[in-house]
Amino acid sequence: MVHILGVLLPDTQLAKFALTHFYGIGHKTAHRLCARVQIHETCKVRDLTSNQITALTAFLSSPSTQPSLPRYTLATSNYVPPRVGEPVPENAATITSADGAPVKESLGDRLRNIKIESELRREIRENIAHQRMIGSYVGRRHAMGLPVRGQNTQTNAKTAKKLNRVERY
Amino acid sequence: MSATFVLRSSRLSAEAFTSTSRSLPSVSRLGQTRGYAQKKKVAVKQHSSGFKGNKGKDPKEKGFKKEKKHGTFLTLPANQVTNTLFKPDNRVVLDLPTYSTEALTSAAVGKAMAFPMSENEAIRAYGVPKNLVVEFRVLSKPCSVVRDVTVTAIDTLDEASSKSSRDTRLVMTGPSGCGKSFLLLQAVEYAAHNKWIVMYIPRAIKMVDSSTAYTYDSRTRTYLQPNFSYEILRRFFSVNQSALQHMKSRGELVTELQSLPEGTPLSNFVQAGLSYKEDAPAVLSALMDELSRQTTHPVLLAVDDIQALYNYTAYRDPHYRALMPQHLSIPRIVLEYASGKRAFARGAVFGAESTSNTAFQMPLELSEALGIPPLRPAGPYVARSKELAEYAQGLRNFPVPAQLSVDEAASLFELWMKDNALHSGEVRGTDGELQSRPNDELFMTKYCEASGNPRAFVWKGLLSTMSSY
Repeated sequence: MVHILGVLLPDTQLAKFALTHFYGIGHKTAHRLCARVQIHETCKVRDLTSNQITALTAFLSSPSTQPSLPRYTLATSNYVPPRVGEPVPENAATITSADGAPVKESLGDRLRNIKIESELRREIRENIAHQRMIGSYVGRRHAMGLPVRGQNTQTNAKTAKKLNRVERY
Repeated sequence: MSATFVLRSSRLSAEAFTSTSRSLPSVSRLGQTRGYAQKKKVAVKQHSSGFKGNKGKDPKEKGFKKEKKHGTFLTLPANQVTNTLFKPDNRVVLDLPTYSTEALTSAAVGKAMAFPMSENEAIRAYGVPKNLVVEFRVLSKPCSVVRDVTVTAIDTLDEASSKSSRDTRLVMTGPSGCGKSFLLLQAVEYAAHNKWIVMYIPRAIKMVDSSTAYTYDSRTRTYLQPNFSYEILRRFFSVNQSALQHMKSRGELVTELQSLPEGTPLSNFVQAGLSYKEDAPAVLSALMDELSRQTTHPVLLAVDDIQALYNYTAYRDPHYRALMPQHLSIPRIVLEYASGKRAFARGAVFGAESTSNTAFQMPLELSEALGIPPLRPAGPYVARSKELAEYAQGLRNFPVPAQLSVDEAASLFELWMKDNALHSGEVRGTDGELQSRPNDELFMTKYCEASGNPRAFVWKGLLSTMSSY
């Protein structure tokens, strides 16, 4: 059983599904996280190496402060690798496009924008509180515990009545 | 009184710890609830009419149960099968000639032969493609029928033993179920018993479908696959141990963890890769270099599912872009030998197409290099990868005929008949018991229905037929 940031990941589960146990990580983000840390698709949580677990923990503890991913140069068909011990030619640094404009953010870099667990809950709480504070319709509906997005209330508002409130998270 | 008080208080404290803990599965006790609201009280519904099957059952029991995965078919050992229905007194031991180099002549075409199963046998060590696993388990012994293409393939191997592998790079192609994997296996067995050094990869798809660990290496600028490299080295060592002991390396091996000087026996080379898994990719690459240079033994690199190595892989780089096969360490080695960029001084490269996995189908670049019609019509405006086309250059098509000849099919039929596998053609004997006496009519009908396709003939025709005559 592996603990990452207080969340317990079951050993027998595939890592790309186990990561969805985090609040704020679904299947897509989990898949991209695995790619970032070079975890293959059929890797189970018990097969994760300590480096991978550390990398995941480091990333998830604060995704926004992570440095941008380096772009690994890949061998061309006529590339001859240097012998062990000889200096390794450096990776090409962050590539700039021809006209000097910054390169479009890759899917791997977009992972830095995710929020998980307490940060995400805080953001949702703040959004609802903001709606209430400005006195909007959405805020009022949250306060009354009724559906917010224009659903029927004559019948079928059970989930909204159960869950909607201003202090929701 | 005190005991109950203690109990009650302990229960209360447990409840206070987790806010939502009535009658719930264990995950919630770890404080990990996905919902944030009150859990619904599960009530057993009382149906007055309608489906009464689950009435009165505990709600947990009613849950959907996932079917247990049993894995690939496994035969029971003979001593466990004692019921008279299975006729334990009538056990058959297939008596077939052994598949050996002396027996394989043009006179042997149309004969069934059993693969020898010694300890270091290639089949045993390397494994076989998925389609062949169940076939070999159902049969009493792994065996195959020698076809005219087998003799052609073997003649090609004999010619290739004195030439560079750049001159003999074949890919076996043909429709689904025509016998490509079997033919490759026969070639591998022939080479293994003819003092070749054989490296056989029965399921190349496993290299590219993201099922083994991968890690980027900045020195080689490729993604290494340490576990897969280790497995290949281990199997290679068990099959070719005797040949490797007598060969000395011409260059030194230097990795981050260990170094071996020039002149070490190649078996020590391989052992170095087996002792440290992190070194396995580097050792594999160095081993292939050594095998290319030596001329003592010809080398056969046989890869089944080779079309999977000419498609985008299922691996992703950290930026979530799909990796190409030449950027993974082991597929790169295979591609370099297949394209002739690297070559064995003596030997050949054999590949076989596989049509079973539709996620990795025959790509356009490879089908153009082989001269076979592509899966989809592709004019000049369809994108082709230049690098993959480069890696497919020079490969020769080795077509496997779609149909078995009548003699070959007859041999195959007799093989299954002798193994008591057929349930058709039953005749009531004098003792009143039904005996399977397969006849010509069954053979010809199934051969025609399958149109001579070996897989359809055996699996759909003979073994799955509902007819009893």
